[in-house]
Amino acid sequence: MSAAMEMQGVRVELGGAVVLAGAALRLEQGEHVLLVGPSGSGKSTLLRVAAGLMRPAAGRVWLHGALATDGTRLLMPPERRGIGYLFQGGALWPHLSAHGNLEFVLRAAHVPRRERRGRADEMLEWVGLEGFGGRPTGTLSGGEAQRLALARALVARPPLVLLDEPLGPLDRALRSALLERLELLQRRLGFTALHVTHDPDEAASIASRMLALEAGSVVESSQHGLIP
Amino acid sequence: MNRALVLGALALFGVAALLPLCAMVLRIESADLARVFEPRVHALFGRTLALGLGAAGLAFILGLPFGYAVARTDVPGARWLRTLGIIPILVPPLFLAMTWTVLVEWRGLVASVFVLGLAGFPLVAIFAARAAERVDRRLVEAARLAGGAPAALRIDFAMMLPPALAGACLAFVFAVNDFAVPNYVSFVGPKFNVYADDIFASWNQLGQPGLAVAKSLPLIALNLLALVPALILRKRGAFATLASGFQEPARWNLGTWRAPVLLGLLGVLALSAFVPIGRLVYEAGGGPRNFTDARVAQVVGSDAGDLGEGAQAETTAAHVGLLERVQAAPVLVAGFLRNGRAAFRTAFDRARDDLVRSYRHAASAALLAVFFGLVLGHAIERSRSRALGRALEFAVLLPLAAPATLFGIGAIVLWARPQTQGLYQGEWMPTLLFAGRLAAFAVLITSGAVAALARPLEDAAAVAGVGPARRLFTVVAPLVQGSLVGAFALVFAFAMRELDSAILVPAANRTAIVRVYNGVHFGRDDFVAALALVLVLSVLLPGLLWSAFSKRRMEVLP
Repeated sequence: MSAAMEMQGVRVELGGAVVLAGAALRLEQGEHVLLVGPSGSGKSTLLRVAAGLMRPAAGRVWLHGALATDGTRLLMPPERRGIGYLFQGGALWPHLSAHGNLEFVLRAAHVPRRERRGRADEMLEWVGLEGFGGRPTGTLSGGEAQRLALARALVARPPLVLLDEPLGPLDRALRSALLERLELLQRRLGFTALHVTHDPDEAASIASRMLALEAGSVVESSQHGLIP
Repeated sequence: MNRALVLGALALFGVAALLPLCAMVLRIESADLARVFEPRVHALFGRTLALGLGAAGLAFILGLPFGYAVARTDVPGARWLRTLGIIPILVPPLFLAMTWTVLVEWRGLVASVFVLGLAGFPLVAIFAARAAERVDRRLVEAARLAGGAPAALRIDFAMMLPPALAGACLAFVFAVNDFAVPNYVSFVGPKFNVYADDIFASWNQLGQPGLAVAKSLPLIALNLLALVPALILRKRGAFATLASGFQEPARWNLGTWRAPVLLGLLGVLALSAFVPIGRLVYEAGGGPRNFTDARVAQVVGSDAGDLGEGAQAETTAAHVGLLERVQAAPVLVAGFLRNGRAAFRTAFDRARDDLVRSYRHAASAALLAVFFGLVLGHAIERSRSRALGRALEFAVLLPLAAPATLFGIGAIVLWARPQTQGLYQGEWMPTLLFAGRLAAFAVLITSGAVAALARPLEDAAAVAGVGPARRLFTVVAPLVQGSLVGAFALVFAFAMRELDSAILVPAANRTAIVRVYNGVHFGRDDFVAALALVLVLSVLLPGLLWSAFSKRRMEVLP
């Protein structure tokens, strides 16, 4: 069975500095992999390369066995990669309501109009935001906004989800609540998750594996708290 | 906030900007009000509305893609194109009308919409460009992951739409209040009467100020209907804002579309700036006389030169070809340059005093407006009472809601009395007139900058024992310096080109723009074009100097 995602020899330079120096990793179907590393170590860059939002100087990316990026060539555009992405800070579209944010994604995924509201409501319920559909995103609290961002990343049922510091701005209670939701949703929807964080303890309870980004390379980390 | 300073500024602003309007309102009589509902006035309203909507629509259609392209694509020379895109709003629309009515046969509504749409497009473009560059990269990428480039563009344009519409509302206000363009278009073609023109006529020809004000009431309402949404949309434009952790959006790689997009942008600039300015250069050099077929024939020694005028036209049309034009070119160009030098010399000789007065009035009005901007703009944003802030903002907008002709009449009614003759006929009258009329721009620009300023910066100074007035001038002012300079440059430019109110007030109508206006109506010649060019250069000068010598960016957006 092919991996959900595989990367080999990915090299990225930004402003003359090497951010990723031949990074390689492999995610099996259904895994929840934690990628840890200090701020500025290139974690978000790695996710952007995986999503096709950035072209590496060198290296290859496969998604479900298909070559998606080959060096500087994007063989598969971002929208065809079947990826859900929870951006750092949420990146919710501020001019749209909660419903609007989810339905925008569903429309782009060619979900018929009559089904969109139902699917959006179902997802809002799954993340604990039932009744929030009409709320403008600017009126949501930090925890609510982060749950909506998670809902948006999952609403089109992508097989692979990239989570960029999904718990970053939340307090301890909200973090554990969101982690529980995430674990539940992963069981329910069966997606593969690559979860990036600077805090190795953040999602250790639900991660099947932990990787670390060191000096631009991905290394296997067998024990929690390995990364300073 | 220093209460004495704010009250002082407010009192001065009231005298300069609000009292002329109040003085006018008191002149209305019931008979005047009855005439507001005459069918003729309805037609006037319809024409003015059509002009405003047409010009704002054209400005929107040109400005939105222009702003997006210069801010968010890799079109060559984007930075320069963006700077050049401001020129049309600074050039007096009268000059655009002078050019385009010569080059095309359009007259009436179509010509006015075309000219005022071109003149107003930068208002949309600069709002759209700033919004476009402030869309966080992640918002666009999230859309791109969901639905590719079309989805990303949908998000981009949705974020740009409120500020772009705010710009279109301002373009609407500019268009419906403009007196010079419809007046000039009527001068060279069939009568095209709009509100601003009719208000001027009620005062100038009928001598009925009350009727002029009464007639302007629907126009004021129309202006407010456009300005209030502009303010709301401006605030909604805060969607596209620089929040903490902001990530700059990527520029679209246009690929093979770079050249066509560049040509499109240059085309818009050509229509709105290059062609009108080029035409003025052509006229200043006596081009319409100098480059005719008859003149070519004369230079190359054609027989046509010896014939009578009627026959000469036919003969030259038949005989003058490319070869003759090339042969005559050195002589014609030399004549063009000689004419141009003479025209500029005449312009400086005849209008030197007018130019100096224009500079002086515009600079002093801009300085006063910047003072209003800093004090009142800060008060609007930092007022303890939100309602008070909004009320102040509304009061500041009122002079913009009234047509400039009405504002000028208001100043006359208020100050042309024995007790204030000294002021009315003195040097300070134009300063007061222009500052009162245009200070709203400075206040809105500065309040926008203050809104984006983190409050703790002022709180830290307060805790350190710095008083409110000193905080304003030593903490706030340096931090919003770019906006203060932008406010100065904009008010200076608008004061230099202010015609509609200046034409009415005697002390203000000895300016360069009024001389150009008189020139085009009473025998347009090379000198008028040369003076218009000097005026254009003067209007652009503060911005050009700032761009050349300062590394800081000038902010001209509210």
